[in-house]
Amino acid sequence: MSDFYQSGIITTLHQLGKPSLDRLETELHGFSKSRPIALVLPALYSEFEGAAMPGIVQELAKVKYLNEIVLVLDKGTEKDFQRVREFMSPISTDVRIIHNDGKRITEIYETFSRNGFNVGERGKGRSAWLAYGYVLARGKSDVIALHDCDILTYSRELLARLCYPVVNPNLDYVFCKGYYSRVSGKMNGRVTRLLVTPLVRSIQQFIGAHGFLTFLDSFRYPLSGEFCMITDLARVNRIPWDWGLEVGSLAEVHRNYSPRRVCQVDIAANYDHKHQILSADDAAKGLMKMTVDICKSIFRTLASEGVVFSDGLFKSLLVAYLRQAEDTIMKYEADAAINGLKFDRHEEAMAVEAFTRAIGMAAQTFMENPMTTPLIPNWNRVSSAIPDIFEMLKMAVDEDNK
Amino acid sequence: MTDFLSLILEPLQEVFLTFKIFLPNLLAMLVIMILGVILARIIRFMLVKSLTAINFDSWSDRMGFTTLMRKGDLWAKPSAMLGSVVLWLLITVTLMIGLSALKIPTIDSLVEQFFGYLPRVFSAVLILIIGYVLAGFISRGVLIAAVNSGYHYAKLLAEAIRTLLTVLILAMVMEQLQIAPSIVLAAFSIIFGGIVVALSISFGVGGIDAAKRMIERESAENCAAGVKDEIEHI
Repeated sequence: MSDFYQSGIITTLHQLGKPSLDRLETELHGFSKSRPIALVLPALYSEFEGAAMPGIVQELAKVKYLNEIVLVLDKGTEKDFQRVREFMSPISTDVRIIHNDGKRITEIYETFSRNGFNVGERGKGRSAWLAYGYVLARGKSDVIALHDCDILTYSRELLARLCYPVVNPNLDYVFCKGYYSRVSGKMNGRVTRLLVTPLVRSIQQFIGAHGFLTFLDSFRYPLSGEFCMITDLARVNRIPWDWGLEVGSLAEVHRNYSPRRVCQVDIAANYDHKHQILSADDAAKGLMKMTVDICKSIFRTLASEGVVFSDGLFKSLLVAYLRQAEDTIMKYEADAAINGLKFDRHEEAMAVEAFTRAIGMAAQTFMENPMTTPLIPNWNRVSSAIPDIFEMLKMAVDEDNK
Repeated sequence: MTDFLSLILEPLQEVFLTFKIFLPNLLAMLVIMILGVILARIIRFMLVKSLTAINFDSWSDRMGFTTLMRKGDLWAKPSAMLGSVVLWLLITVTLMIGLSALKIPTIDSLVEQFFGYLPRVFSAVLILIIGYVLAGFISRGVLIAAVNSGYHYAKLLAEAIRTLLTVLILAMVMEQLQIAPSIVLAAFSIIFGGIVVALSISFGVGGIDAAKRMIERESAENCAAGVKDEIEHI
């Protein structure tokens, strides 16, 4: 059982006792009549060949309160697309598949490009953004929930708890982020534990209390890929297309809404998904690439809010971060010991060293060009430049799904 | 035996002679076709390059022509699409010129008919383009005016006007192309007349009470005026 302490400036919704899933789903079914929900699933075709997706489809088939499911299929051929349609057929909810490699969607990306919009490289950020566009184009849903497609421990309770705070009209939340523990015999979630939290706290040492840093530090799992939001937010948010997606999205939420209307919810007792390799020697892939992108996103957001970065500050920051991260390792070692979890202190220290190098790289890139963090333009701007883009996107997806 | 052989050979010789006369024409047609196709491809290439250089695709995205293409499930770039249309038009013209080089009277008359029909096709395309732009402009104008007047069904009204104008334009295009003109005219009269009659009936039936009230008010005012007059005279 979780504690019930409210930390930070956002609301934390804990899992207290064993709440009834039936009650939750019945209430959601009622609320969804006035606030229809769209579920966005960014997926690679390879995920349909893995262990997670069959479980997710099996669980989603039991969900009755969703208005539509928008699955964005990446790296899939025409045959793969047809296989995915077949795969999703047990779900009774209206399922629309956006075929990212299909001729129609490719032409939609061409349309963005020739009108001067850089929507970035393929990945979760771009897929999620396109799915938001389709949900906006259809205009049938008021709430968008999103989760990854590699969750091995998926249950429909995760989705219900994720949606509830935003869908319930009495709670008035516009954005809700999921959190959970990442334990599977040992502690996972290295990037959140050993990078984001220590880095945020060490920056606070230099620049003092800062709205965005306090906001970011309020999240128990800022890098979780599961969230739910109102569709208006999907219209105004600019999101990064690289690994800075989660941090960048939180930055946009912070910029556009009061923290009073933001919450985090405990969605699962445990969570396991595909693990990334550290790739300490190659900053262009694995957790190192993720680290560099996340750090750049944080630096850019702070700079946009008036924080002045200098070489001196970055040099001191590296030392401060290292100290913070080492202290954090000791805390987690104790936490692992009392819970009987395996804890490889050397491996954790190696990760921190790699992360320190990555922060240095991100700092250098940021100093050379502070505008490098890629943000996909929001849908308001896109529809202003291409007035019929929603209609075109809707036609492309609907034709593909015929 | 000689007679029998000549009976067989004479037609063959005739065929050969006819073919000998026909061969240069055939060769001329082939040369025209090959040159025409090459020229058409060069023109297509240059046209697409020029259109890309002047950002035609982007302009088309903004003006709604790309959407029009997508509605027809055409997912090529607008410039490439226009290039293909021009290419096939040029190939068709080349084919017609090539066929006329054969100097066969039946084909000559067909070619003549084709070239006679071309101006109609051009004016039909022109009507379609101008009509599409005008319909969009008028429908948007109606939408803005209706929204500003606080009319609840502004979007519906604008869409209805757009549909009516589209029907009108399509009828004009069909008439221009001389595709079953009597049927088109009859169908158009029935549809348009039907809509007008439907509107008249719905307005008439819906406005019975309002008209009754207006007439009653009018007659009541007249009566009141009459009484006043009498009193004044007294």
